[in-house]
Amino acid sequence: MPEREEEATTGRPEDGDGTAASSAPAVAPALAPAAKPVMEMRGISKRYGEIQALDDVSLNLAPGEIHALLGENGAGKSTLIKVMTGVVQPDIGDILIDGQKVHIGSAFDAQTYAVAAIYQEPMIFPDLTVAENIFIGHRDRGRIVNKGRMRDEAREVLARLDVHLDVQAPASTLTLAQQQTVEIAKALSLNTRVLIMDEPTASLSAHEVAQLFATIDRLKAEGVSIVFISHRLEEVFQQADRITIMRDGAWISTNLRAEMTIDEAIRQMVGREVVEFYTRTESNPGEVILQVEDLGVEGAFEGISFELREGEVLGFAGLVGARRTDVGLALFGIHPAETGRILLDGKEVRIKNSKDALRQGIAYATEDRRGHGLIFNQSIAANITLPSLDRYLNRLRLIRHSLERATALDFRERLSIRAPGVETPASSLSGGNQQKVVLSKWLDTKPRILILDEPTRGIDVGAKVEVHHLVDQLVKEGIAIILISSDLPELLPMSDRILVMREGRQMDLVEGGDVTQEQILTMAMGQAEVPAAGGGTDA
Amino acid sequence: MDSAPTMSERIVQRLKSWEGLLLLILIVVIFSNALFATGYTGPQNQINLWWISIEKAIVVLAMAFVIINGEIDLSVASVMGLSAVVVAILWEQGVGIEIGILVALLVGLGIGLFNGFWVAVVGMPSLVVTLAGLIGIRGLAFMLIEGRSIGNQATAFPTWFEDMGQQPVSELIGVFDNIPLVDRMPFAIFVYIGLLILAGVVLGRSGFGRRTYVIGSNKDVAQYSGVDVRRHKFAIMTISAVTAALAGVLLASHLGAVRGSTAFGWELDIITIVLLGGVSIFGGSGTMLGVFLSTLLVLNIRNGLGLNNVPGHTQTGVVGLLLILSVLLPNMIESYQGWARRRSLARAARAARAGPDPAGGAD
Amino acid sequence: MSDTLLRRLRPSQVRELITLLIIVAIILFFSTQIDNYLTGRTFNRITTEFPIVAVVAVGQLLVVLTRNLDLSVGSQVALVAWSTGFIATEVPGINPIVLLLIAMFMGVVMGGINGLIVSFGRVPAIITTLATLAIYRSVLITVANAQTIETRGLPDWIVTFPGTTLLEFGRADIRLIFLIALIVVAVVQLLLTFLPYGRRLYAIGSNPDAAGMVGLPKQRDVFLAYLGCGALAGLGGLMQMAKFGTITVDSARGLELAVIAAVVVGGANIFGGSGSAIGVMLGAILIAVLDLSLARWIGISDFARDFLLGLLILLAVAGDIVVNKRLQKIWLRARQRDEARAGPPAAAAGGGDG
Repeated sequence: MPEREEEATTGRPEDGDGTAASSAPAVAPALAPAAKPVMEMRGISKRYGEIQALDDVSLNLAPGEIHALLGENGAGKSTLIKVMTGVVQPDIGDILIDGQKVHIGSAFDAQTYAVAAIYQEPMIFPDLTVAENIFIGHRDRGRIVNKGRMRDEAREVLARLDVHLDVQAPASTLTLAQQQTVEIAKALSLNTRVLIMDEPTASLSAHEVAQLFATIDRLKAEGVSIVFISHRLEEVFQQADRITIMRDGAWISTNLRAEMTIDEAIRQMVGREVVEFYTRTESNPGEVILQVEDLGVEGAFEGISFELREGEVLGFAGLVGARRTDVGLALFGIHPAETGRILLDGKEVRIKNSKDALRQGIAYATEDRRGHGLIFNQSIAANITLPSLDRYLNRLRLIRHSLERATALDFRERLSIRAPGVETPASSLSGGNQQKVVLSKWLDTKPRILILDEPTRGIDVGAKVEVHHLVDQLVKEGIAIILISSDLPELLPMSDRILVMREGRQMDLVEGGDVTQEQILTMAMGQAEVPAAGGGTDA
Repeated sequence: MDSAPTMSERIVQRLKSWEGLLLLILIVVIFSNALFATGYTGPQNQINLWWISIEKAIVVLAMAFVIINGEIDLSVASVMGLSAVVVAILWEQGVGIEIGILVALLVGLGIGLFNGFWVAVVGMPSLVVTLAGLIGIRGLAFMLIEGRSIGNQATAFPTWFEDMGQQPVSELIGVFDNIPLVDRMPFAIFVYIGLLILAGVVLGRSGFGRRTYVIGSNKDVAQYSGVDVRRHKFAIMTISAVTAALAGVLLASHLGAVRGSTAFGWELDIITIVLLGGVSIFGGSGTMLGVFLSTLLVLNIRNGLGLNNVPGHTQTGVVGLLLILSVLLPNMIESYQGWARRRSLARAARAARAGPDPAGGAD
Repeated sequence: MSDTLLRRLRPSQVRELITLLIIVAIILFFSTQIDNYLTGRTFNRITTEFPIVAVVAVGQLLVVLTRNLDLSVGSQVALVAWSTGFIATEVPGINPIVLLLIAMFMGVVMGGINGLIVSFGRVPAIITTLATLAIYRSVLITVANAQTIETRGLPDWIVTFPGTTLLEFGRADIRLIFLIALIVVAVVQLLLTFLPYGRRLYAIGSNPDAAGMVGLPKQRDVFLAYLGCGALAGLGGLMQMAKFGTITVDSARGLELAVIAAVVVGGANIFGGSGSAIGVMLGAILIAVLDLSLARWIGISDFARDFLLGLLILLAVAGDIVVNKRLQKIWLRARQRDEARAGPPAAAAGGGDG
C-alpha cells in the first residue's frame, strides 16, 4: 500500500549543490508517434498542510505503453496515483481521458473511466473464489449471479493472460503472485485502459517476476497502458517504453527508454551526482563467534552454512525470493530452524523463540517497518526499550522512566534521530527516522550479532549515509553484522564477505573485495552468463 | 512533519482530552444531581452509590486490562455468579466459609487458565471463548444450585461474612471507629481502593502494563520484539477470572443470599464502563484514570436517576446511550471537519484557477 | 472423502456436511440410550424447538458475514413479541398478515437504528448493539408497565400456532412453525448465493479494506444487512409470541447468545467472510437435538444444558480451525501437483532477472 513515508518526510533532503530542479517548463515529453494519449494529467498540484506533495505535475499515457514512474520515497508517486484513482482530489490541475476533461472523485469514478491500481499488498478477498474475486463489484453484471457463466468468463480472462488457475479455488489458497494475477485479471475484465502497478515485483521470486512480465506483455498487446513503479532499476530499464522521473513532488523528466541510462536516472532522482556514499574504514574481523551448519526450514530454505566473526559484516545477496529473510528469522527464533545446527562460541544452542535469540545476543531488525518494527502509538522511548524492557524495571517491576528517557536521548543523539522529543509517538516520524528508532531498539539489546534486513530500503539518501556510518562504527566495536540487502551498490562496499542465495539455497560465499556486482548477480540468478543489462552499475 | 494526523495520533489526541471530557461531564452530573436529586448530597448516599456497584467496579479494573490487551472477557459475570454459588453450596454442605472462599478463588483461577489456554495457546478469538464461557459457566452455576436460593434463614451465612458485605467497616474492625465518614464505608470499598491503586500503578508504570499496551496495539510487533505474547495473554485472562471470582465472593457477602442467576447480565455494564472510560475496543490505548472517572460517572448517573425514581432498566438504557454518543459524536465532528476542510480547499483551488494562468499551460 | 471431491465443494458446504453428519451421529447415539427416541413425537419436538432461533440466527448471519454483530436481537424479539401480543389481545380480529407486517416493520426500525449507527456513524458493532440491547429492553419494560401478555387473551389462531400442522406423516407432523423456518432459510440462502448483494456481504467481511478500495457500497450494504437482521428478529418475535403465548418483560433474555451459538456452531466465521444459511440452520438443529435429547436422558438435569452448550461452542470452533487447516493443505497440494505437471519454468525470458 502506498507508503506513509511519502507524506511524512521531514523536509527536502539537503540539496548539496542546489539542483536545477525543473521549475522551468520542459520540452514536451516524448510521445509515442501517432498515438493520442489515453490519459493525461496536467498541472496537478496537491498540498498537505506544510508539504507540497505534488507541484505542477504532468504526465501522459499512450495506449499500450509501459510507462515507468521513478522517484525516491517522498517524490510524490503514490500521491499522484491516488489522484489518478480518485482516492484524493488535486487542489489544482486537470485529468483528461481521451482528450476530455474528467473528474475522478472516487473509486467508482475511477472504475467508470477504466483506471485501476494494483499495490504491493493484494486487494483480494480470501474467502471468495478466484472467479468471484475477478467479478466482484462489477456494476453491469445483472441481477442474478450465474455461477457457471462466471466460471467460464473467469477462465476466458485468465486465458487472455495465458495464466492457468483453478477458478474455484478460494483466493486464500493462492500464492502472493497468483493473487496479484487475479487482480490483473480483474482489471482486464473491467476493460481497464490504465493499469497502475505499484512495486508489483517487490515480493516475487525470480520465476514469478518473469511470469508477471509475460502477463504485462499480454496486457500491452490488448492496448492497456501500464504505469509501472519500481525501485528495481534493471527491471524498469528492460520493460519500460518511457520513463518519467519525479523528485520532491515535481515532475523532472520524461524520456524514451532508449534515451536514458540508469546513472542518469539515479542522478535525476537524487538531484546530485552519485557519489560513493558507502564508506568502510578498514575491517579487522576477530574470532569466529557464530557457526551455522546446514540450516534448513522446510518450504523456505536448506543447506545454509557459514561462519561469522566478531567485527565483520557478512552480506547476504540475492534477489527477492531468495529467502534471505527466512534465514534471519530462523536465527532470531521467530521461525526456528528445523534442520542443522547453530553454534555460538563453539557451543551448540537451540533458538526456539525470540527470547532465546536475545539471550544469546542475537538481534534482528526487520525489513517491514510498519508490520514488525514499531508500535506506532507508543513513544520513541517506549519503542526503543521494548525488547530489553526487563533491564528498565526496578525491584518492584516498575519502569524506571528516567533511565528509559536517558537511553532514548542517548540514541537520539547517537543516530541523529530527528524528533522534537523522545516522548513523541513513533507514528509522527519520517521513514528514515523510524528506521533509526528500529535500529536503536536492537542496539539497546547489546547484541553480539545484529541482523539488518534491508535497513536502507525506502529511506532518504541522507539517512542512508547515516545508517552506513553506524554500521561502520558498530563493527569497530566488535559487533558482527549480517547485512541483508537487495541494493548491490550498497552491499558490496559494506561487506567483508558475501553469501549469495537463490530460491532458498546457498550459491556461494565470497570475499567482498574479490567480486563484482555482475558476478553476484549472475550467482543470484543461477545463470552461467552475465546478463546483457544496460549500463555498468545496476541497482 | 506531516499535517494530516495518523489514526494513532488521533487516538492519542482524543485520549488526552477524553479524561478531561469525562471530568467535565462528571461535574455537570454531580451538580445536576445535587440540584435535582433529593438526598444526593447526604454522606450515606454518597457511600451507597458506590456500595451498590462495588463488585462491578472491581471487575471493571480487570476488564480494562483485558480490553487494552486487545481481548475481551464476556464471561466475567458468569464467573462472579459461579464463585458466589460455590461459596454458598459448600456452606450449605457444611464446609467452613473460609474454605468456601478459597475454593471459589481457585475455581476462578482454573477458569482463567482454561480461557488462557484457548486464547493464548490454541489461538481462538477471545470473543468466542468467553462467549462459550458466559453460557457454559452460568450453566454450571445452575447445575450446582439448581433453583434454590442459599443464604436465607436456615442456610444463613455466618455473621461476620454477612457483616463484611452489609455493615460499615467500623462494625468489623474496631480500629475504624470514630473516623468520620470512613467508619461508615463497607469493607469492599477498601478492597476496591486498594485494587484501584494497584491496577493504576501496574497499568501505567510497570513492565507488565507496558506490555499490555504493546500487545494490544500490535501483537506481531510485540512478538518480534521479544515479548512473550502467549504468556502475557494467559496471565491477562487468568487475572480477569480471578478478579471476577473475588468479586463474586464479595457479592455473596453483600447480598446475603445467592441464586443461580446472581450477577446475571452484569458484563454489559462492566464493558460499558471500560469503553466509556476511553479504552479503545481495538486495544492498545486507554488509562486507568479514564476508567475510574467513567466508573464515577456511571455510578453517579445511576444514583441521580435512582433517587428520582427512574427504574433500573432505564438507567441502563441511559448508560448505553451515553456509550454510543461517546463514539458517535467525535466521529461526526471529525466528518464535519473533513468536509469543511475540503470545501475551503476547493474554494481556494477555484480561486487560484481563476487567475491569469489557466491550469493547462503549466508544463 | 477424496481430496478432489472436497475441492469441488465450497468450504462452507464441507462444513454443512460435517454438521449434518454430527447431527445424524448424535441421533443414532441417543436412539440407543433413550426409549421411543426415533418417533414422530421427537421429530415434532425438535422441529418446533429450533425454528425461532434459526430464523433470528439467519438474520444474524447477514450481519456477521460483514464482520459485525447484533447483540440486541434478544431485546428486539422481546419487544416485538410483547407488542404483537398486546395488539392481538386488544384487537382480536386482526389479520395475521397485518400482524406479521407490523412485527417485521418494528424489527426493521430497530435494525435500522443499529445499522445507521454502525454503518454511517462508524461506531463499532459491539459497542452499538451492546447499548441498544439495553435501550430496547428498557423501552419494552417502560411500555409494558409490568403487564404480562397472557395466553388466554390471545386469539385462537395464535394459541394453536405451535401445533398448527400442514402435513402429517404418521405421527410426524410438518408444522407451520417448521415450514416458516425452512422458507426463511431457503430464501436467505438463495439470496446469498445468487444475488450480487450476497457476494458483496462475503467480500466485505473477508477484507473490509479491499471492499472499500474496490468501490463496493460498503456502508449501504452493511446497513441493509442490519435491516434484514431486524426484519427476521421481528418475525422471530412474532413466532415467539405465538409459540409461548405468555410474554413477560424478561422474555428472550439471552437469546442473542443462543443465536450467536447457532451461527458459530453452524460453521460461520465470527469475523465474517464465510458461512451459510443452511449451515446456521443445521447449527440450530444440532443445538436443539442435543438440548432435547439430554433433557430426556436420565441423569442429565435441565441445568446442565447451558454448560454443555458452552462446551459445544468451543468444540465447534476448535473443529473449524482443524477443518480449515486441512482444507488449506488439500488446496496447496493440488496446486503443487498442477505446477509440477506444467513442467519446470521456462528459463527467464529476455534476460529478465527479476
